[in-house]
Amino acid sequence: MAFLELHDVVKVFGKNTVVSNLSMNVEKGEFVSFLGGSGCGKTTTLRMIAGFETLTEGIILLDGVNVVRTPPNKRNLGMVFQSYALFPNMNVRHNIGFGLKIAGRSRTQTDKRVEEMLELINMGEFAGRYPHQLSGGQQQRVALARAIAREPAALLLDEPLSALDAKIRVRLRDEIRDIQRKLGITTVYVTHDQEEALSISDRVAVMRDGKIEQIGSPFEIYNHPATPYVASFIGTLNRLPAVVVDPQAGILDVEGQRVAMASHIASTAGTRVQLRLRPEALSLGSGDEASNRLKGKVENVKFLGSIVRLDLRVGTNKLSIDSFNEPRLVLPGLGEEVTVSFDREACVLMAAESEVKP
Amino acid sequence: MKNIKRTALSWLVLLLGLLYFMLPLVATFLFSLKGKKGVLSFVAYEHVFADPQFLKTFFFSFQMSIYTVVAGLALIIPTTIWVHLKVPKAKPVIEIFALMPFVIPPIILAFGLIRSYSRPPLALVTTPALLVAGYVIIAFPYIYRSIDAGLRAMDLRALTEAGMSLGAGWFSLLFRVVLPNLRTAILAAIFLTFATVIGELTLAVLLAWPAFGPYMALVGRDLAYEPAALAILSFAMTWGSIGLIQALSRGKARPGTVVAPGLAVMAEETKPTTTRSTTNGLP
Repeated sequence: MAFLELHDVVKVFGKNTVVSNLSMNVEKGEFVSFLGGSGCGKTTTLRMIAGFETLTEGIILLDGVNVVRTPPNKRNLGMVFQSYALFPNMNVRHNIGFGLKIAGRSRTQTDKRVEEMLELINMGEFAGRYPHQLSGGQQQRVALARAIAREPAALLLDEPLSALDAKIRVRLRDEIRDIQRKLGITTVYVTHDQEEALSISDRVAVMRDGKIEQIGSPFEIYNHPATPYVASFIGTLNRLPAVVVDPQAGILDVEGQRVAMASHIASTAGTRVQLRLRPEALSLGSGDEASNRLKGKVENVKFLGSIVRLDLRVGTNKLSIDSFNEPRLVLPGLGEEVTVSFDREACVLMAAESEVKP
Repeated sequence: MKNIKRTALSWLVLLLGLLYFMLPLVATFLFSLKGKKGVLSFVAYEHVFADPQFLKTFFFSFQMSIYTVVAGLALIIPTTIWVHLKVPKAKPVIEIFALMPFVIPPIILAFGLIRSYSRPPLALVTTPALLVAGYVIIAFPYIYRSIDAGLRAMDLRALTEAGMSLGAGWFSLLFRVVLPNLRTAILAAIFLTFATVIGELTLAVLLAWPAFGPYMALVGRDLAYEPAALAILSFAMTWGSIGLIQALSRGKARPGTVVAPGLAVMAEETKPTTTRSTTNGLP
């Protein structure tokens, strides 16, 4: 039995089904993220767990108890909001201590716990400051400390880093993960930022139209996307139309060039399919004997810091390649014809013209 | 050159505006000092203070304004919070209600109250409760707008949800989170109500209460210099209230507290109220 269980959860707003038959489990101490575009139902699901939205159907079990009818203030869940939601009339110390005070802890207990929390988030010297005297990143750290001070059963975070600038976002992300590991607290995290979700979570649930498309470790999600949507939503993906030539040998035709798969193909010869390749799975040059090769013309060279992205034209299609930015790297010129190689294992095959929206 | 011209023009406009507002006030003030022939003196003010009716009616109205503030806040604050959180769609309806006291003359309100509450089982016409109820209606727009602006300035939904996720019930949320952050808005509402009720004329006259408004009207009809002194005094009280709001809210001034909207309403609305009741005389 998992610590947090959602069974066939449905949420309908008017005529809109925002969450439909969603089921999932979160183990104790696990860090699970809901990832998806806006309107996919991820925040609504989190708010139903928190108790701020009622369920149209389904149940939510927290430590084996159905909490669907429990009001949010009785669920003992810590929540962190995108807008920080610190109490403007209280300083940092009182914000962190608020939940303890409500819970009726003694003053000495509260003070001790608040000190621990201040130390945990490294904000001891700001204890007397008011929220408006803090930066966004500091406010969110206080909000995190406030949420966990009461030792809640689980921690819920609703896009906590979306209002912060890029550098702080990465730093605070690591801090959240560190604190979560240290306390071993069960955590559900909502974000639209795939890098954030992949870097921070034990498991990621990719959501679309109120359903979970795939749930798995970041590695599984990235390398073995279960659906075309997950494949195209996570990371950059090259999509090349192809025709099956020899299903038994796993041979494809891509714009007149041959590509071999690692295994046989479960369709008949002549079937139109789509070959999907990650930019980082491709490299410049001919590679070794067993590698697949494709020829294309360089259309664009983008310098992205640690990597360089080349856009090639292969027939009528675009193909992006990522190379690590090493000093030895010799970049081809625009319009130059180059060969790229990739492993057979890097090929992912999908049905042609799948339902993936561009 | 252009810039200088523009600056000069702005100053000129400001100056004209100030003259437009200040001249009548200065003139009234000067007139109020002419109680004694040939010299400027405060004799009119002495007369005002010497009249026992002045203090008596003033304290009656003061008392009524306290009841109005208490009843008005107790009714309107929870309602407005509820509307913000649970039924935001009702906001336009309440906005319309908040305009009613301006659209419907107080005289209609007064006759309505008299007709409805002069017979058993609700014979309330002779009790001050009916007067206070009427005042709450008149003060409703001022209280509602101040509280509404205060609630808009804070992220009410996120704050209440944060509070709830920390275990707080509605009572704790109201008294530890929402009300402390509404401090300035509540102060503005209190002073606006106070200023309105102190000078109110129609309801007090028609329900026959010895209030300050009717007293001012009476003095205005019968005497020459004393009404001017009274007008200046009521201006001083209004401005004192504004100063008090600012002084009280400055101590913990921070983003999220609202001083301006309430004050803007106050500056606009109290002047006509006080001047109307001092100069118009009885209906």
